[in-house]
Amino acid sequence: MPVIEVRNLNKIYNTTSVPVQALKDISLSIEEKEFTAIVGPSGSGKTTLLNLVGGLDSVTDGKVLLDGRDITTMREGQLIDFRLHHIGFVFQAYNLIPVLTALENVEFVLFLQQVGKHERNQRAMELLERVGLEELADRRPADLSGGQQQRVAVARALASHPAFVLADEPTANLDSHTAESLLDLMEDLNKNSGITFVFSTHDPRVIQRARRVITLEDGHITGDRVQIPQRAST
Amino acid sequence: MMMLVLAWKNVWRNKRRSLIIVAATAIGLTAGLFYAGFVTAMYAAIIDSGINREFGNIQIHTSAYKSDRLIHQFLPDLPVVLHTIQADSNVRSFATHSIIEGMASSATTASGVAIVAVNPEQEQQVTAIARSLVEGVYLDKTNSIIVGKKLSEKLKLKLRSRVVLSFAGMDGNIIYGAFRVAGIFKTDGSNFDGATVFIRQDDLKPLLGTADVPIHEIVVRTHSEEILDRTKVKLQNAMPGDVVVETWRELAPELKLTGDSVDIVNTVMLGIILFALLFGLINTLLMSVLDRVRDFGVLLAVGMYRRRLFLMIILESLLLSFTGGFAGVVLGWGITEFFGRFGLDLSAFSAGLSSFGIPSLVYPYINPSTYGTLAIMMVITSIIAALYPAIKAVRLRPVEAIRTIA
Repeated sequence: MPVIEVRNLNKIYNTTSVPVQALKDISLSIEEKEFTAIVGPSGSGKTTLLNLVGGLDSVTDGKVLLDGRDITTMREGQLIDFRLHHIGFVFQAYNLIPVLTALENVEFVLFLQQVGKHERNQRAMELLERVGLEELADRRPADLSGGQQQRVAVARALASHPAFVLADEPTANLDSHTAESLLDLMEDLNKNSGITFVFSTHDPRVIQRARRVITLEDGHITGDRVQIPQRAST
Repeated sequence: MMMLVLAWKNVWRNKRRSLIIVAATAIGLTAGLFYAGFVTAMYAAIIDSGINREFGNIQIHTSAYKSDRLIHQFLPDLPVVLHTIQADSNVRSFATHSIIEGMASSATTASGVAIVAVNPEQEQQVTAIARSLVEGVYLDKTNSIIVGKKLSEKLKLKLRSRVVLSFAGMDGNIIYGAFRVAGIFKTDGSNFDGATVFIRQDDLKPLLGTADVPIHEIVVRTHSEEILDRTKVKLQNAMPGDVVVETWRELAPELKLTGDSVDIVNTVMLGIILFALLFGLINTLLMSVLDRVRDFGVLLAVGMYRRRLFLMIILESLLLSFTGGFAGVVLGWGITEFFGRFGLDLSAFSAGLSSFGIPSLVYPYINPSTYGTLAIMMVITSIIAALYPAIKAVRLRPVEAIRTIA
């Protein structure tokens, strides 16, 4: 069973007097342990697709099945609960809570899952170790570099043991070296821990590291290929 | 606990903004609590002053005297009445008064007065007139009289001045009696001071030509205020038919109202202060929410329920106002304690204050119940202040909130 299945998905924005169709009849499925990039130029619908798959926005038409469950029919409370237990998010701007330390940022998701204090502290520390930031656990986001913040964001995304991680332009704000380092980390988590990653990106560094690339243009899927990932030469 | 930690950290995210509202709350509550302490002490002083000056805790009259105040409306069966009072263990002391409406004349002018004939030894156990003398001595000699400061000024009396009292006797004939001023008293009630004179009962007897003076009033002091109603009922049940026993609350309903209104006055004052602070708090919380739209979007995205987000903002409001509130309570308590110990000197306004029975030196104190009332009011204020910002936060759509530029 695919971990993500999208059927005939349409999204129309009615925010202006002229409705804008951001996604047109999208259907795709993503299996467990995939390392998939959704690519395309700005305005092609990448982020919209990720938001709909993540249950952050409502569909106009179609179905989104995650682990076999249709999230388009869920009530808001169910959807929040589903996101908490099944989906990890990594955002372009890191979006850590600035008043919390790196450890507390990771812990917070476990707190929302009502994990006990001792256990969540232990698990959050393990996750920071996995992303190589155990030494910086007590630092606040403002005291971390962009790459370090994004690593904390990855640790936070993994905290809830999600079925998959959605990463919206995760390397957009990072320099080449830091971006490569982050991609190494995510690739490692994918290969060694079996975590499914889905990126939206137009960063060639991410695209060449993906094993599957889905191309979106003007809200349509115009390409879907499996490739052999390559490391950047820099 | 983590929610509390997050709320606390959020409160201090913008230190300057939070400190301003914390300082405003602290200053407002310091002023409010000091005011409450002052009002409480002032009202208590007004009541104490009234009790010590003229009312005592309980008074006993005939019902007829209460309405007409005539000389022949004295207490019947006095030995029975006195025995009943003496036998009551709740009674600390009592004093008998013979009260006659009359005229006091000096060499220059005259004024209507209430002539109160007392037993000096009894009287000093019951009222504070002897302790209120500003000149001279208490009723020490035959035909001595003590007068209020205000009356002495009106009649241009000094110590040893001659005063002639005139009043209608038992048979309706006018009686004259000459007295010498032995002392001048000044109480917190200027009206009382301007219309009351005290003489000895022994000096009234020859004027009336009777072996005993008619007793119109008995003033009783009980051991405590708490046993007042019980004592009143007990005494009333043992009294002859026409005798009425009343507590100071019945005798001076305006004093009772003063006592009863302390909590209302203080609550209204604190309410006004908190109402003003409410808008500052709303503004601070709203700014804080608008600054964190993206954070809220992330929290909602990663799985925070909206009700938890709502609770977090309520908590932030409570923490913010209680931080200021704590500082305000400490400062307000400290200042009130200071003046409670050394007194707040209002002598510059004593002329005006005394017409309302207010003493010129007030010792503020705060009733413990005021802190409880304040805490409840602050919780309510905090929740009200947080409602609009919290509703605004929980109505955010994560997909839009995340895109907000911080």
